[in-house]
Amino acid sequence: MVPHTPCKVALIAHCLLNQNAKVCEGARYPSLVSPVVDALRRRGYDLLQLPCPELAFAGTRRWWAVYEQYDTPAYRAHCRRLAQAIAPRIEHHLRAGAEVILIGLDGSPSTGVRFTSSKPDWGGRPNRPQDDWDIVPGRGVWIEELEAELTRRGLPRIPATGWALDMGRCDEMAASRDLADFLDRREHMTRPVGDEPALP
Amino acid sequence: MTRDARGWRIALVADSLVNPPRDANLRQPDVLRVLESHAYGVLQLPPAGEHRLLLAVIADQIGEYAHHGYALVAIGILDQPECGLHWRSLAALLRHRGRALPPRHRVRWGVEAELESQRLAAFLADHDLPVEEQRRWRE
Repeated sequence: MVPHTPCKVALIAHCLLNQNAKVCEGARYPSLVSPVVDALRRRGYDLLQLPCPELAFAGTRRWWAVYEQYDTPAYRAHCRRLAQAIAPRIEHHLRAGAEVILIGLDGSPSTGVRFTSSKPDWGGRPNRPQDDWDIVPGRGVWIEELEAELTRRGLPRIPATGWALDMGRCDEMAASRDLADFLDRREHMTRPVGDEPALP
Repeated sequence: MTRDARGWRIALVADSLVNPPRDANLRQPDVLRVLESHAYGVLQLPPAGEHRLLLAVIADQIGEYAHHGYALVAIGILDQPECGLHWRSLAALLRHRGRALPPRHRVRWGVEAELESQRLAAFLADHDLPVEEQRRWRE
């Protein structure tokens, strides 16, 4: 009998497939972020694009912002609505036994996974000089709310990493190596096919 | 910050074109590659099924892009229900937001992949906003 092979699904930050969603002056690619897309497709991952919470909340012409500016009740409620929209698709894959991973956007106030941006005194006229914010360990607001929604549904924590697009200066080669390391570790950690039952 | 590199073009794409079936015998173009080469970002639609809230979220994004100088198209699959694009639902959601459906291209599966890539490329090359609108928003 041919064993069932659970499919592999990568939840990816919206702008990794659509750089038009980036804040003004933040798009580094015309279209999609090919190093991420290629690395995932090469390893057999299906892609599941997450909604962009900032675009849907503040529009295409929004100012840059840090975590503290998005850490508001209204923005968190907006993120919870988006999480409720996409969570059924994630739950479907997890309950079918798929290996699910998350690729966020390190340094982003919303989609940061390992790092987010911080500057508690930012506000008012947006005339701050370049790099006048801090990169600190932690999730972005959107990832916090998405993970909370998945927890509410009784789903396990999803292994996650971030592409370093919003870390100030993005070193594509280093980011590619970092992503490859994460994906290689996942492959080594994945149990033999059929060893892990699907969620109830 | 570096100069912004966005392409100002967005394609709504059927899920089966983002994640094509892994069937070595099924001839299919690499749609993501063609979109990338024409500077189109991707807005992935969900597979067939009930996705009311998610489609509403997507319609909000389409409306926002359409209102601010972005060119929009939709890329579906011939012979799939609603081309894999949730076309009727999207039409209603966009109408509610005062927006029309974008121009649509249907990819054919099972024919020569290179030919289909060229058909898609020709469709994409034909679509953008009028020059005055491009200047208004993009310069």
